[in-house]
Amino acid sequence: MNETHPNIDRIVDYLHGELTAAEDAAMHAHLAGCSSCEELRAEEVAITETLRAHARAGERELPVGLTARIRAAAEGPPQASLWERLRAGLSPALILPAAAAIAIVLYFGFATRHGAPLATAIDPSFYVRNHAAMAASTPFSQDGAPVELTSSDETP
Amino acid sequence: MSKEAPALGMDQQAFLEHAIEQYGKATYNYAYRLTGNAADASDLTQEAYIRVYRAWESFKPGTSFLSWIYRIVTNLHRDELRRRKGRYQEEIPEIPVQPIEDYVEAQLSEPVSKALAELTPEQRQIVLLADIEECSYLEIARVVGCSVGTVRSRLHRARGQLRKLVSRYMKSSS
Repeated sequence: MNETHPNIDRIVDYLHGELTAAEDAAMHAHLAGCSSCEELRAEEVAITETLRAHARAGERELPVGLTARIRAAAEGPPQASLWERLRAGLSPALILPAAAAIAIVLYFGFATRHGAPLATAIDPSFYVRNHAAMAASTPFSQDGAPVELTSSDETP
Repeated sequence: MSKEAPALGMDQQAFLEHAIEQYGKATYNYAYRLTGNAADASDLTQEAYIRVYRAWESFKPGTSFLSWIYRIVTNLHRDELRRRKGRYQEEIPEIPVQPIEDYVEAQLSEPVSKALAELTPEQRQIVLLADIEECSYLEIARVVGCSVGTVRSRLHRARGQLRKLVSRYMKSSS
């Protein structure tokens, strides 16, 4: 008789038919002559039997209507592509503000990149020159010619 | 595990019908044992068969259909567990309106039910496939998507847990 006792994991593998033919035969021979290992095997068999009894007790029929639901879902329209889903999600209420926002961003992006002013820029010297012109004239005089105010640099 | 598969030469619709007729109940019961409740089991079964319908041409003739559908259910279940951070809803216990033999069997299996619920989802999958579906370690490895060595070690650990838990629940219920 083999004096080396198999460990419990080997017995589990034996019960699941996972030992090689030679290992299986050796295990079989050992169990026939070793009551303590045979007891362990019987306990493992009992656990498996209880698991199967538990499964039998809880065995269920396919729920009514499930087959029809599967059929309907399977035959339903195929999944839309990413573009189709995007297009479906974009209503006119969303498209118009989005288009306006894009146009603004493009305009300012373009203008900034090409050096155009963001707002009307008036050279500060314009104000100085015009102030001097106004101060030099007599605004309340009826005789004096009106001072011509210009925004150009050529202004005398 | 049965090796029969829906016959070749069918069209897509006939393939689906045949698959549900032959394996629908087994699939639903496997899904039910994984999730522990009817609503999630129905959803898993439905989603699995929709995938079968869409990918029916990728099914290899001569291979086990049951292994394939169990693999789909196992993957869907794993994804759903990740999405729900590991928890499925608990089933509301049913009032036992059944013959006395069934009632006694149900009473006996209550400790097992509790013990199974305490296993990790991965351990539960392996125990269900090895001991209830009677799959080989190699089949389980293909279904679960891991090595035979991993199946072996998970099963050993799960059986060790079950041994302790079942005896604890047996003592507490007696």
